[in-house]
Amino acid sequence: MSLFSYAKPRALGEALRLLKNGTAALAGGTDLVGLIRSGLAKPNALVDLTGIESLRGWTREKGKGLRIGALTPLSDLETSPQLRKLAPLIAESLRDAATPQLRNMGTVGGNLLQRNRCWYFRDEAVPCWLKGGTRCFAAEGENRYHAILGAAECVMVSPSDLAPALIAYDAEIELASSLGRRTVPLRTLYVTPGGRQRKEHAIRRGELITSVRIAESALERRGTFLKAMDRKAWSFALVSVAAAARISGGKAHDVRLVIGGIAPIPWTVPAAHKQLEGSALDDNACLAAADLILAGAEPLRDNGYKVTLARELIRRALRSLVR
Amino acid sequence: MAGLRVVKSRDEFEGEIYESLSIIQGSDLPSLAAGAVLDEVGKSRRRIDGVQRVTGRATYTHDVTLPGMLHVRVLRSPYPRARVRAIDTKKAEALPGVRGILHRFNSPKAAFRGEETIFREEVRFIGDEVAAVAADDVGSAVRALGLIQVDYELLPHVTDLEEAIADGAPKLEDGGNVFEAGSLKRGDARQALKSADVVVEGTYRTSTQLHNSLESHGAVAQWDGQILTVWESTQHVFGVREGLRAALLLPLSRIRVICDYMGGGFGSKGGVGKYSIIAALFAKQLGRPVRCVLTRHEENLAAGNRSATLQKVKLAGKDGRITAIEHISWSNAGQGRWVANPTGPTNTLYDLANLSTKSYRVMTNAGSLSAFRAPGYVEGTFALEGAIDELAERMGVDPLTLRRRHAAAQKDPRTTKAYSLKRLLECYTIGAREIGWSKRRVGGTRGSAPHLRRGIGMGSQIWGGGGGPPAYATVHFNADGTVILRAGTQDIGTGTRTVLAQICSDELGVDLDRISVRIGDTEGPYGPISAGSLTLASVGPAVRLAARDAREQFLGAAAGVLEVPKAELRMERGHIVSKGARTPISEVSKKLENNTVIGKGSRWPNPENLSIKTFGAHFAQVEVDTLTGEIVVEKVVAVHDIGRIVNPMTAASQVEGGVIQALGFALTEERVVDRSLGRVMNANLEWYKIPTVLDVPEIVVRFTDRPDRRANNLGAKGLGEPPIIPTAAAVANAVANATGIRLRHVPMTPARVLQALAMIR
Repeated sequence: MSLFSYAKPRALGEALRLLKNGTAALAGGTDLVGLIRSGLAKPNALVDLTGIESLRGWTREKGKGLRIGALTPLSDLETSPQLRKLAPLIAESLRDAATPQLRNMGTVGGNLLQRNRCWYFRDEAVPCWLKGGTRCFAAEGENRYHAILGAAECVMVSPSDLAPALIAYDAEIELASSLGRRTVPLRTLYVTPGGRQRKEHAIRRGELITSVRIAESALERRGTFLKAMDRKAWSFALVSVAAAARISGGKAHDVRLVIGGIAPIPWTVPAAHKQLEGSALDDNACLAAADLILAGAEPLRDNGYKVTLARELIRRALRSLVR
Repeated sequence: MAGLRVVKSRDEFEGEIYESLSIIQGSDLPSLAAGAVLDEVGKSRRRIDGVQRVTGRATYTHDVTLPGMLHVRVLRSPYPRARVRAIDTKKAEALPGVRGILHRFNSPKAAFRGEETIFREEVRFIGDEVAAVAADDVGSAVRALGLIQVDYELLPHVTDLEEAIADGAPKLEDGGNVFEAGSLKRGDARQALKSADVVVEGTYRTSTQLHNSLESHGAVAQWDGQILTVWESTQHVFGVREGLRAALLLPLSRIRVICDYMGGGFGSKGGVGKYSIIAALFAKQLGRPVRCVLTRHEENLAAGNRSATLQKVKLAGKDGRITAIEHISWSNAGQGRWVANPTGPTNTLYDLANLSTKSYRVMTNAGSLSAFRAPGYVEGTFALEGAIDELAERMGVDPLTLRRRHAAAQKDPRTTKAYSLKRLLECYTIGAREIGWSKRRVGGTRGSAPHLRRGIGMGSQIWGGGGGPPAYATVHFNADGTVILRAGTQDIGTGTRTVLAQICSDELGVDLDRISVRIGDTEGPYGPISAGSLTLASVGPAVRLAARDAREQFLGAAAGVLEVPKAELRMERGHIVSKGARTPISEVSKKLENNTVIGKGSRWPNPENLSIKTFGAHFAQVEVDTLTGEIVVEKVVAVHDIGRIVNPMTAASQVEGGVIQALGFALTEERVVDRSLGRVMNANLEWYKIPTVLDVPEIVVRFTDRPDRRANNLGAKGLGEPPIIPTAAAVANAVANATGIRLRHVPMTPARVLQALAMIR
């Protein structure tokens, strides 16, 4: 573990001024502390954000949709009855995320920006491609938990349960830095590591997520989140599916399907959404959409089962929207 | 002392027979009667040290903090096989706070398991010890490790069991990688296979299971110039003492080992570890207390494991009976020099006339195996009981019925000795009733939705657990009438203090809360390792004798004090009772002041002409999602035949813990090693998946609860290991019943279930 300085600002502006090269932002610490301990992150300064009250909590204004502060603990979202009514996918996605203790500490911003869990990446001694090495060890090695599609030089999978749920609501994130603010679709935060891009997130240096926004119209969607794990708790998803749609007259509109655990980014196939527009979401339609989404799957030695699992979870998630 | 005698005995330990000498005196007590009405033995009692544990007051090795204590971190090999050519510690030594560094070029000789030094020239797995740093704090020790420069010459390696067996694998020993570890033949298996109606054949694979005790391995050592005191999380304080003697060449009188409380061992803490020797060497060299405890990561690299196995089973049937079995097993021992025997259950569980078994130890560049709760028997029973179900199905016989036909024999098929007590058939009857076996259907039943299939399966178990000598205890009275029981043992976590106090209480006629139990200290009487399910059956009878001896002596003293003939006195609930008078014990002990009565007891040998075993059967009900491959174990019924139950509550805890750990083996736990790197990829609790509380099904615990009066004076046998043995087989058989797929590879992950389902579609 390296030595670092520590600061705990009370205002966002101050935090943004402190964030620069070699600085890491600390919120719940559930990922960062592990990364520091294992030598994967070597910040020379920590900026503790937890004193910035303005980034905590969620609000809803009629007509303006939902705004969730980036420092809101995951457990607050999970346990709020109002939010559960408003955006049920969020609470559902958090129910099986990590453990209650980790959800108490973990924050929305931290969850969205957590680094991947590939065991080669997490092993300090393995010089994998994502860490600047020459090759991906998982591609030819132990890859039961890795990507079945959408990967380039690195076959890690996007680990967040919350991200697919939020993307199914077409969520946007507000970002701030000492240079200014911008708002982008959450979907675009995630990038496929490949080529010159040895990273998982499109966040810029010195930038913080300040909030997540969901438009009023998206809140009309019903949602279902399903997660397959290899035990009943405290596991990252083998496959997760966030499905959302506005149901009217027994037909689905504005369908969104976001699959976690199968690709380096939360996986969406817009053509599948189009194909399901106006569908009654019967078994055949659901499986056809699943097949479209998984058409490009190229399983590795040990993860072919994820194709079967994803296909079935997509079917179940979609079916449950019309039940 | 009068009547001391040395006796030789031959007793089973984890499937092997060992000879030992012990000292006994006087005469053994008749075994407690079946219907004996006792105040404590047979009653559920909360752990007498429970409050200490849950309030954090109990001192575990990890809790030991001494003034001036140094902290050790160990530099471990980053390569699966390499020669250590040179080590440069200059930079590390210069780091402030660093007090000492040990490695193979400067360490004193310290014998460890047949090797001369604890730092090998050729390191043989990732995690093998290369050097150790003692520093003022952990951070400095960790930073120092990063500054030690080691010149390694890399050598070819192999970590995978099947690759190590195959031609062309790097040879790790002169004799290759594969060593025969045992074999047994009975009758003519080959001929019987030829003339069978049905033959089933299967290759079974079990994965490497890591112990992951809550408390990692570790020791704290203190040298005061005369006495070396070592606190160690261990299953055998006397074993650690002997290991330290051999390594440091100190007289036993100058070594004291203490294990007050320990956070689990499961077989992996059977003796001295390199960490204890490192701590002791530093303590002597630097004159300061030294703490060396493993991190979770180190724990999962270098602290033992249940070896992965490859097993080939061939089973023949004719006229609704099993006529022959062939069972060959290979175990990935890593760098281990012994191996557990997966063919043990095949050799002894059933009455099988024609049998041929063989087991092999396979060396690889992985961490050594160590005993892991019923070593070999968990792995072997999974294969044996799976194959028996397959044969039953092929012959159209109910699998329980087929087992009944071979489970009735009252003689040990291996030694031909009569069993002291065997009630396996009763286990079957109880288990079948509790699980609802009569509702089991060939092909399973529909679950709570169309894609869910439900099934029932079972498996049986045999294990030793008879215990034996040597084991000793002393009981002494204080002036206030309270009692101190000292016994040669330690509590691996099963509730040893509580059950020993219960036994002492009944025999003495003193209430439980007046008895204080001192264990886990080599300053007390000698006692055996807490392993092989032998603690209660070994130490309990000695405690009973010690308490009886103390009672008799005390009554003699009371006769003098009260001026009543001893023959007219008895001890009852803390009182000396004579005709018409009840005197509190303290009235007598007070008058004796500090003239202490000390009773002694020693474990008598087991009967030579009998085979003492434990039996049991587990029944499982599962629901399988045939589209996602998820197995949900809904219920496990565990029935055990272990003689008298001393404390039903702690006994049930043992069974529940065993079942849960077995479910990990069956469904989720698997060490994953990258073969080309030789690295364990999941040496952590994130990707090495032990069951969580949500994974635990309803567990129904039943005992036959008949004292095995021919086994020892308590009629009790061991229970530590039996409940982990048959669960995986019961679950696999239930899955086969539910879905028609036979999973021959544990853990039965969704990936493996889906793969098997895809093959039959």
